[in-house]
Amino acid sequence: MNMFTRNDKPFDTNTASTTPARDKTETSVAPIAETKRTPPLAPPTNEIATPQTRVVSVISKALKITGQLESTEDIQVDGEVDGDVRGISVKIGSNAKVKGTVYGDTVELAGTIDGKIEAKNVVLTSTAHMSGDVVHQDIKIESGAYIDGHCRPEFGKAANKNAHAAAKPAAIAATGSVRDKAGSVAEFGTRA
Amino acid sequence: MPALSRVALVPVPLGNDGTEFPASHLGKALTIKGSLETTGIVHIYGNVHGQITADRLVIGAGGYVEGDIVANDVRIGGRFTGRIYARHVTLDGSAEITGRIFHHTVTVAKGARIDGRMPWRPLNFFEKFEHLREAQ
Repeated sequence: MNMFTRNDKPFDTNTASTTPARDKTETSVAPIAETKRTPPLAPPTNEIATPQTRVVSVISKALKITGQLESTEDIQVDGEVDGDVRGISVKIGSNAKVKGTVYGDTVELAGTIDGKIEAKNVVLTSTAHMSGDVVHQDIKIESGAYIDGHCRPEFGKAANKNAHAAAKPAAIAATGSVRDKAGSVAEFGTRA
Repeated sequence: MPALSRVALVPVPLGNDGTEFPASHLGKALTIKGSLETTGIVHIYGNVHGQITADRLVIGAGGYVEGDIVANDVRIGGRFTGRIYARHVTLDGSAEITGRIFHHTVTVAKGARIDGRMPWRPLNFFEKFEHLREAQ
């Protein structure tokens, strides 16, 4: 009994003194982890997105991608892409290189494309270097732009309609999977 | 491509992007099927299926990557399936990992889910590994 009471008292005081301390450390650790967690993950989106006007994805100078890019938002390419690019508004920066087809609603080219452009609105700036065909509805070519290929105002017409129709479900399917994954992540986040 | 081993071994605090190249940012709606290679920083909030080579890689919450990662510094807040070869790995509380993480130092936040092994490796392993990768 004595043992218990003796043990209980110091033990209680110990646990009372230690557990709050632990709680303190935990609570002090947790906010740090949260504050650490949120700023690097959230603000970079703002930091990066704000300088270039409302550009959602940026493939920067030093990045080389081999494969397909698909987005239901805007894409800015300043690096190198060896493959197709699909987006809504696609900007190919002045030092960028794309080998493949660029699909979009609006495609602005200031760099190099070795392949094809299929877009409603196409803008070739003075530094553009286009090797391949341009399928468009509306085109603007600034003086100094280089084009080696055909400009065909056939975007949205019979032959291309099929190609574009085939392209669109793929993009939609891709975003569907993104949403599913994002949804499941959100679930895990709340559970954790 | 310059060897990653030449890059400073000290983990640079994330979010401090005072580097020569602006970071690449792959937004939520972006899906890439293929490999990514850079000597700079990549932030991934979308989907990537393929191999990624970078100096520093951040998979943000909501991001999903399937494939192998070779990098100096990796931070994950999203989902990942595959193998990571990195000197310094940080897993946030929202991270969900399936696969192996070859690391020299690792930080795991409370709440992270890891299904797989996290083998420690000496620093020269990564150099050797990079040489192998570069030779391929």
